[in-house]
Amino acid sequence: MNKYYIGLDGGSTYLKAALIGRGRVIDTMVRNTGIDNDGTARKIAKELCKRNSLSASDIGYIMATGYSRKVLEVADDDISEITAHAYGVRLTAPKEYRPGMIIDIGGQDSKIIYLDSSYGVKNFSMNDKCAAGTGKFMEVIAQILETTIDHVGPLSLQATNPCDINSTCVVFAQSEVISLVARKYNRCDILAGMHISMAKRIIKMMKKSEKGGDILMTGGGALNTGLHHAFEEELMRDVYIAQYPQFNGAIGAALIASERG
Amino acid sequence: MEPFYHTLKRIYVDMAHAETKKNQKTIGTYCVMAPPELIYASGAVPVKLCSGNYTAFSIGDDIAPRDACPLVKAVAGFKQTGLMPVYEDCSMMIVPITCDCKKKIAGMLSERCEVTTLHIPATREDKDIEAFMNQLYDLMEKLENVTGNTITYQSLSDGFRKVGYAQYELSEFIRLKKQMPYLIRGSHAMAILNSASYMPADEWGKALHKVNLSLEKRIAENKTVTSKKLPRIMLTGSPIVFPNIKIPLLIEEMGGIVAGDETCMGERGMWDPAVITDNSFDGMISALANRALRPCPCPTFADNSQRIYRLKQLIKENKIQGVIYHVLRGCLVYDFEYRRIEEELGKLGIPVIRLESDYNEEDIEQLRIRIEAFIELIKLKQAPEKVMTVRKDF
Repeated sequence: MNKYYIGLDGGSTYLKAALIGRGRVIDTMVRNTGIDNDGTARKIAKELCKRNSLSASDIGYIMATGYSRKVLEVADDDISEITAHAYGVRLTAPKEYRPGMIIDIGGQDSKIIYLDSSYGVKNFSMNDKCAAGTGKFMEVIAQILETTIDHVGPLSLQATNPCDINSTCVVFAQSEVISLVARKYNRCDILAGMHISMAKRIIKMMKKSEKGGDILMTGGGALNTGLHHAFEEELMRDVYIAQYPQFNGAIGAALIASERG
Repeated sequence: MEPFYHTLKRIYVDMAHAETKKNQKTIGTYCVMAPPELIYASGAVPVKLCSGNYTAFSIGDDIAPRDACPLVKAVAGFKQTGLMPVYEDCSMMIVPITCDCKKKIAGMLSERCEVTTLHIPATREDKDIEAFMNQLYDLMEKLENVTGNTITYQSLSDGFRKVGYAQYELSEFIRLKKQMPYLIRGSHAMAILNSASYMPADEWGKALHKVNLSLEKRIAENKTVTSKKLPRIMLTGSPIVFPNIKIPLLIEEMGGIVAGDETCMGERGMWDPAVITDNSFDGMISALANRALRPCPCPTFADNSQRIYRLKQLIKENKIQGVIYHVLRGCLVYDFEYRRIEEELGKLGIPVIRLESDYNEEDIEQLRIRIEAFIELIKLKQAPEKVMTVRKDF
């Protein structure tokens, strides 16, 4: 009986995999992509099955998504990240979420996806040729402030007087942050300022004509509590966070796989 | 397709001269609003000089200001290098002033070649048409001086005939192109439409006639380019000028089909024929002025509701499922209209995405992911196919 499906999300640094069956997420796994994308994908699929006592024949269909989706030959087909994320939230969104908008903050790009009431993709916007508003941006700033990406969220929540950061470009923002550090601004205030500037930048991308439904955050950026807080403040409304935010793409791909196999 | 490929290759790869008869002058034009009928009437051949060339763009990048659009930069680049025969051969260039960039480029071009500008009004009222007619009379005089020929009633009607023939074949082509399943790929159709810039209208019409005949034959033989139900995409927005045709090519590479376009190098260029209601010479000039301004859905006009009407009409005729709105970086007038068009088409349930692009190959991957996702979005509205295989190993 084929009843399990695997979604592979080949990102620029990590390869994420999700195993789903009977309409729910069973397991997830992440590995460094390395130079052999397809080899890593095969290994991760094997391990995922082993850990859940499944054999290859139990897997009905494998769907790839993400940056390296075209080279993952182990997959039966591939799908773009946008469609995958839109599908993923069907399993990862909290129960009270009414489909409307997804904000996905990835490592290399950020995107906004607009959904209709039955989770179909209506439209989407992506940031253009720029790393500002992405995970990479947070990483760069965290490094300057001698902290790691896991800590930037909690630290920023301690801010009392968030700094103004105007630059929309990573390189310029970096020099702006360095000058704030030189002027002895508090690290927490700088981080809070960074989150506000990121949130503002992404909100600018939103289409004004798409208003219905709730907002949900996915991608690694959703794990950043500071950024989440900044979004809520700037939008003046609740922003939901998906379950397994980093695996949302892989889960979506697996869900599409389940429609095919 | 041969004559069209041949023309595009001649102009861009072999860098050859436009094909003209002995001693025949060529007149460069930069917009569909410069009436070709008048140029044929003077015995010259019009050549559309709007460019999509990447090399010329990178040269023009240093000449024109940063925020100027790539089309204008490419023109500036060609002017600077003096390498493209089609540009160098021109005895005169006609530049309708459709935006600020065009205005400044007209000034730049005049250092090298005689340039006539055509003022494009912001509205399309009767007084605007009348003023435009006066400009056409002035243009006529200039054409006569450059070519040494007199424009007569007879030569102008011949000009109308030549262009009219091409327009007739084009309307046939558009009718055949619409057939479903498709007889010809949209990107091929765009190559045909683009080659019209460098071929005399009558020859282009003849070559298109052959294409039309072969399409008719394909209908009879039940031969189509694809049997699948490909998502039907329409292109609109800033001009898509050969060789910058990465967007139509990507659409078809990612499994969609360009089922229609509303761009000035595409179907818009020759769509509405000039209609003569009064058989006098003045009547013909009036027909040209009316044709240039009234039906034109160019965003240079202040009120451009007719573009929305035209888009809706094209969506209905071609059963369009999604619209890709092309914006060349720096092309403000088109970018301005995006919001309204997105809203209007949204009411019809037609998804629209805005693709901003430039004349280079660097953004192909960014464009690809957007186009791919857009096509998936349309595809997912159709039911998926089920596959049943048993997996042995990974």
